[in-house]
Amino acid sequence: MTNLAVKGLNKRFGGLHVLKGVSFEIDGPELIGLIGPNGAGKTTLTNILDGAIKPNSGTVYLNKQRIDQLPPYEVARAGLGRTFQVTRSFRRMTVLENLFVPALALNRGHSREEIAQKALEVLEFLTIDHLRNEYAQALSGGQQKLLELGRLLMLDPEIVILDEPFAGVHPRLMEVIYRYIERVNGAGKAIILISHQMDSIFTLCRRLLVLNYGDLIADGIPDDVKRDPAVIEAYLGADEEESNGEQGGRAQS
Amino acid sequence: MKKHHTPQLAGVALIAFFALFPFIYSAGDYDYIMHIAITGFFYAILASSWSMLAGYAGQFSFGHIGFMGVGAYTTALFCHYLYLSPEPTNICTEFLIGEQYLILVNPIGVTSSTLTQDCLRQALSIWDGSVQITPMPVWLGIILGTIMGGIFGLLIGLLVLRLRAAYLALFTLGFAEILRATISAEILITRGQAGIELPHLFDNGITLFGHAFTRTDKLPPYFAMFFLLLLCLGILAWLAKSKFGLFVRALREDQDAAAALGVNTTRYKVLVFVITTMMAAAAGAMQAHYVGIITPNNLFLLQMSLVVAMAVIGGVENFVAAAIGAIVIEFVLEMLRNSFDIGGITVDMTIWRLVIFGILLMLTLRFSRNGLILPLIEHFTRGHVAKETVAKRAAGASS
Repeated sequence: MTNLAVKGLNKRFGGLHVLKGVSFEIDGPELIGLIGPNGAGKTTLTNILDGAIKPNSGTVYLNKQRIDQLPPYEVARAGLGRTFQVTRSFRRMTVLENLFVPALALNRGHSREEIAQKALEVLEFLTIDHLRNEYAQALSGGQQKLLELGRLLMLDPEIVILDEPFAGVHPRLMEVIYRYIERVNGAGKAIILISHQMDSIFTLCRRLLVLNYGDLIADGIPDDVKRDPAVIEAYLGADEEESNGEQGGRAQS
Repeated sequence: MKKHHTPQLAGVALIAFFALFPFIYSAGDYDYIMHIAITGFFYAILASSWSMLAGYAGQFSFGHIGFMGVGAYTTALFCHYLYLSPEPTNICTEFLIGEQYLILVNPIGVTSSTLTQDCLRQALSIWDGSVQITPMPVWLGIILGTIMGGIFGLLIGLLVLRLRAAYLALFTLGFAEILRATISAEILITRGQAGIELPHLFDNGITLFGHAFTRTDKLPPYFAMFFLLLLCLGILAWLAKSKFGLFVRALREDQDAAAALGVNTTRYKVLVFVITTMMAAAAGAMQAHYVGIITPNNLFLLQMSLVVAMAVIGGVENFVAAAIGAIVIEFVLEMLRNSFDIGGITVDMTIWRLVIFGILLMLTLRFSRNGLILPLIEHFTRGHVAKETVAKRAAGASS
């Protein structure tokens, strides 16, 4: 069973203390929302988890393997994959080539035909299979988000971090992303979902982590977190408790 | 024949053309045209390998001409300072290897041989023709030059790991200039601006298919450089098709995203440096032996600009386009040398041709950023993609 253990993570950028002893654990195929105001430290936490930056102190273990000092490619191979807040597709490579990159990087001994077959199945699921030979730069913003999600399916990590997957996406494509999350989670993978779209977060997630200026101020089931005075004060706002579920628009502001 | 096979067929036709060209062409300027072709092949190796480095991997290095110089100077120093002798000179530094002595000639810089002779010349004058010394084989010098280019490529590749875009360009430019300045300054060893003379590619002539060629005949070096170009293009084609090609392009597009998907970006960044610098060094070593001399002027920034311009005009994101661009431009630049008169005014084309070249480069960058040849290749290889996409979407919508 997937286990991610984050213990006492601290990160400073000069005088700015961005993460202050953040600790949490993920056991099994959990679907966790990571929320917090801008500047809360969500992206920094994600960058530490995927090895892009190193913490000043603290540890991260993935299935008992310490990963906080590993380079990003080894973290990916160890089983942690992510998308980026701003889509980072390989723009001057075809859609299929984008999917080939993680599959070949893993080097699991699959033939090119097998990889191509899986890639086409992934593209079909994401409803962009007709674009397979187009350069990624020809895709719309939403389609590029789907492509990024497709690359993660090819990487097939144990833990998936989705950074703002719904931002700027057409409702029809959002349905595809919802199905994607259900598929990945249903396949036994843990998902950390970062989003300012509270509707989606409360609909999908069964556990919420709330960061506020580097502090993990809440960790619990959505109903409890929604009522947490510290969370209301820091992020959801005073009206949130009353409106109960209509928070999406406010939270984005 | 399918339309997207056209570039491959054109490639085979081009190879056949250049393989037959020396036998078909027979005009009075044969040697001159062969010389231009050999130089064109030399630049084609530089431009295509730089295309892999900059166009595929996004590593805009301006040190490529420096690596070319590493290869050229390595073989030059190797052939200039090392000899084999059956007898010890007792005045040079020498090592007994088997039954031969490896003689290391003492450096004397550019001092006239009438004033100061190197130790080997002294020994030869003492021996008075009774001992035959053996120069180092040219092919070994070229191999050593290639390896040395790879070692320098490895070191520079490791040093620039954290550098991107303009910083990488400036760093590598600095490397090439430091190398050139060092070679110019180390007169005692490198003979500075005077340059080092090298034995010709086929110094003792060569017999091919029953025909004896002298050291100055153009056909043997033509095919030597042509085969080196084909070898480099073959390696580049194999790399571009392999996961190496895919990963370095991912590296170009987004290094962090590639790493997050499991690509060991450090390894591929260093690898692409090593492979392409080895090609530049091999080309430099062979060209130096063909010309017979290497000087620091061959490492000037202007030379690097020429390579970059050739690759850009051909199409920097395709090594074949870059190679064709280099050969075409080398021929065009030479053909434009012919000055002419307009109403009694002589137009000196030795200067104006560079102006025309500069304007062509600017127009290419402004109106065809993918170069002039790459769009042609893409027309045949990818021209059908848009239609296919529309058809697939329509099929998907109707099902």
